[in-house]
Amino acid sequence: MSEIHIDRKVLSDLQEVMEDGYLQLLETFLADSEIRLSQLHGAKNADELAHAAHSFKGSSSNMGAVALAELCRQLEDRVNHGPLQGIEDLINQIDREYAAVRGLYCDERQRVSIG
Amino acid sequence: MNQVCADVEALSVLIAEDGAADRLLLATIVRKQGHQVLTAENGEQAVALFAERRPHVVLLDAMMPVMDGFEAARQIKALAGEALVPIIFLTSLSEEQALVRCLEAGGDDFLAKPYSPVILAAKIKAMDRLRRLQATVLEQRDQIARHHNHLLNEQRVAKAVFDQVAHAGCLSAPNIRYLQSPYALFNGDLLLAAYTPAGDMHVLLGDFTGHGLPAAVGAMPLAEVFYGMTAKGYGLAETLREMNAKLKRILPVDMFCCALLLNLSFQRRVVEVWNGGMPDGYLLPASGGEPQPLVSRHLPLGILAPEQFDDTTEVLPLALGERLFLLSDGVVDTSDENDQLFGVERLRRVLAANRQPALLFEEVLQALDGFRGRSRDDVSLLDIEVVEPQLLSPPPVIYSDSGQSSPLDWSLQFEFRADTLKRFNPLPYLLQLLQEIHGLRAQSGALHSVLTELYSNALEHGVLGLDSALKRDARSFASYYQMRNERLQALSEGFIRVHLRVEPGPRGGRLIIEVEDSGKGFNVSKVLARPVSEQGLCGRGLNLIRRLSRRAEWVDEGRRACVEFAWEALA
Amino acid sequence: MAVESVVSQDGKKLTIKVKGRFDFGKHQEFRNAYEHKPARPDSVVVDLKEATYLDSSALGMLLLLRDHAGGDESDVRVVNASSDVRKILAISNFDKLFDIS
Repeated sequence: MSEIHIDRKVLSDLQEVMEDGYLQLLETFLADSEIRLSQLHGAKNADELAHAAHSFKGSSSNMGAVALAELCRQLEDRVNHGPLQGIEDLINQIDREYAAVRGLYCDERQRVSIG
Repeated sequence: MNQVCADVEALSVLIAEDGAADRLLLATIVRKQGHQVLTAENGEQAVALFAERRPHVVLLDAMMPVMDGFEAARQIKALAGEALVPIIFLTSLSEEQALVRCLEAGGDDFLAKPYSPVILAAKIKAMDRLRRLQATVLEQRDQIARHHNHLLNEQRVAKAVFDQVAHAGCLSAPNIRYLQSPYALFNGDLLLAAYTPAGDMHVLLGDFTGHGLPAAVGAMPLAEVFYGMTAKGYGLAETLREMNAKLKRILPVDMFCCALLLNLSFQRRVVEVWNGGMPDGYLLPASGGEPQPLVSRHLPLGILAPEQFDDTTEVLPLALGERLFLLSDGVVDTSDENDQLFGVERLRRVLAANRQPALLFEEVLQALDGFRGRSRDDVSLLDIEVVEPQLLSPPPVIYSDSGQSSPLDWSLQFEFRADTLKRFNPLPYLLQLLQEIHGLRAQSGALHSVLTELYSNALEHGVLGLDSALKRDARSFASYYQMRNERLQALSEGFIRVHLRVEPGPRGGRLIIEVEDSGKGFNVSKVLARPVSEQGLCGRGLNLIRRLSRRAEWVDEGRRACVEFAWEALA
Repeated sequence: MAVESVVSQDGKKLTIKVKGRFDFGKHQEFRNAYEHKPARPDSVVVDLKEATYLDSSALGMLLLLRDHAGGDESDVRVVNASSDVRKILAISNFDKLFDIS
C-alpha cells in the first residue's frame, strides 16, 4: 500500500537534486504540512479552505505524495464548484492519508540520517 | 537530476512561494543551476525585494497570502519600466481562466507543480534570452536617439554658418515677397538675392540634388561666389561661369545644382534670365492675363566643364507693375493619393486667375492644399515687382580702408580689342580702381550705373553696330539680344577705349570718364532731342547718364562719350 | 530584378533596363549594372520602357554612367522614355548630353 502513497521515483529525484539538503527538505515538509492541516481544520470560510487545500496540494505533489495531492485537489474542486455536502468526509480522508505518508517520510528521514 | 549549466551566465533569481518546502526545493534547484537566489514568502516581500535587489528573473507563486502573485506581478512590471523582467508563475492552477489571469497580470510563462528541474532550467534560459534581447533593443534605441540629436545639432550649426554667408542678401527689399521653408537649406533649396553696385538686383533660386548636409555643403561655396561677384559688379554671365566651374570642380559627378538666375535692372527696365533645370519661372503682366514662362534652356550648374558651359542669357523688357514669379519644383511635383501631379496647367490657371498680387502666394498654397489635402514644407516661392528704382535703397558699400589717403591726380587708359570684348567684362576692375577715390564713394551707385551704360552702349551700338531702335518693343527685344550674342561671337575687329582722369580741384576733385568705340557713331542731337516718353526702351540710357553725372557730352559723332563726376573734399 | 543589364554578343553594346521607380533606392543596382565589367563597351543604352518615374538622383546616376563610359567621348542613349520621363529629362536639358528617344 505504501507504493501508492508515495512515488518513490520522485523521492529519489529529490534526493539527487537536494543532496545534503534532502534531510532539511523532509523536515520542512513535515513542519509545513502540520500548518496546512490546521489551516484546513481552522478555515473560517470557503476561500480560506480552498487556499489551504490548494497549497497542500502543491507541496504534497512536489514531495511525491500522489494520493494526498489528489485528495487535496478534490477538496479544492468541491469548495470552488460544489457540492459542499460531505466535505467533512474529504477532510477526514486527508487527515488519514497524511498520517500514512507522515510515517513513511519519518522512515525516510531515519534512513537518511543513519546512511 | 543534477545539472550544473556551466555555459549559462549566473543570473539573480527571485523566488516568491509561500510553502516553505516548495520554496526550499525551488531555491535549491535554481542555485544548482548556477544562479543566485533571493527568496520571499509572500507578494509584498517579493515586491520589496525586487525593488531593492533588481533580480533578472522572477518566479512567483500565484496564490500567496498578504499580496497574491497577480498583484505582485503587476507591481514588479511597473517597477521594471522599459526593461523586461521575465516573470514565471508557479502554479498548480489548471483551469484555462486561471492561466489567462496569469498572462494578463504580466506573467511571461508558467511552471507547473510538481517542479521539473529540467523544464525550469530551460524556461529560465529562454526567458533570459528575451531579457537580453529587450536590453539590446533599448540600448540601440538610445544610441540611435543620441546619434540623431547629434546630426540635428550639426545641421543647426551648418545652417548658422550658412546664414552668415547669406546674410548680405536683399530679400527684405520692399518689392520682394518670398516664402521658404526653414528647412529649405536641407532640402537643397536655395534662395539668394543681392544688389549690384549699380543698384540692379541679382537673384538665384536653386535646387541642389540630394538632401541634408551634402546639399547644404554645396550651397555655401555657391553663395560665396554669388554674393562676392555680385557685390563687385560682375555680370550674370561671369558669375554663372564661376559658379559652374566651382561646382564642377568640388562636387561629385552625380551632384549638381538646378538654378534660375535673374539680373533685374529697375533703371533700365530689363531682366536677364538664365534657367538651367528649374521649373518655368513666370513674368506676370501688370493687369492680369497670360503669364510668360521663363523656360529652362540650360543644363544645371556643376555638370559641364568650363569650356562647354553656356552662359547665354535671355533678355526681356519689363514694364512697371509687372512681376517675376519663381517657384521650386515642390509646387508642380506635389502629388495626391493617386500619384497624380499638380502639374503646370493647374499652376498657370491659378496665376491667370489671380487678381490681387498680394494674395498670389495664398492662392497657390490653397490650390496645393486643396489638391493634396496636406501641405508640403519644401515649397519655395518668390515674387518680385517691377518698381521705380527710387523705391529701392541698396545699402551703402562698406569699405575696408580708413578713408584717409586717396590718389587724387592720375590718369589711366585701357584699350579692349575684339577678342577681349568677347569674353571679358572690364567693369569690375575699373570700378575697383574708382573705389580708391574716397570722395566719390557717396556716388558709387551712380558711377556704376553710368559706367555700365557707357560700356554697353559702346559695345552694342558702337562695336557691334546694333541699332538701338530695335529695342523698341517686346518682340524685337528678344531678337535684339539674339543678334547681340551672334555678333559678339563673330567679332573679329573693333575696340573700346576707356580713359580715366582724376584731377584735384579747389574744393575737391573731379573724375573724367571717356569711352570711345570703333563704331560708326550716331546722330547725338537727334537722339537727345527725343522726348523721354517716346524713347521707351531704348535711348533712355543717354538721359540716365546725364541725370546721374555732373556733365555728359558726346563728341566725335557719338563715338566718344565724356562724362564728368565731381566731389567736394571731405571735412 | 528592377535593373537588368545585357551585353551584346560582340561585347560592344551594353543595355541597361530600369523598371519601376528610377530613384535613389536603385543606386547600387544601377552601378552594379555597368561597373566591374571585363571590357568597357563602345556604347550604352538605357532602356526606360518600364520606368515609371525619374528623380534627380536618377539624373545623377545617368551622369555617373556617362562619366564611366568615357565622359564626352561616351555614347550613351536613353530610349523608350515615357512622356512624363521625357519631360523631366527635357527640363534639365539632358538631351544636350544624352541621345534621348
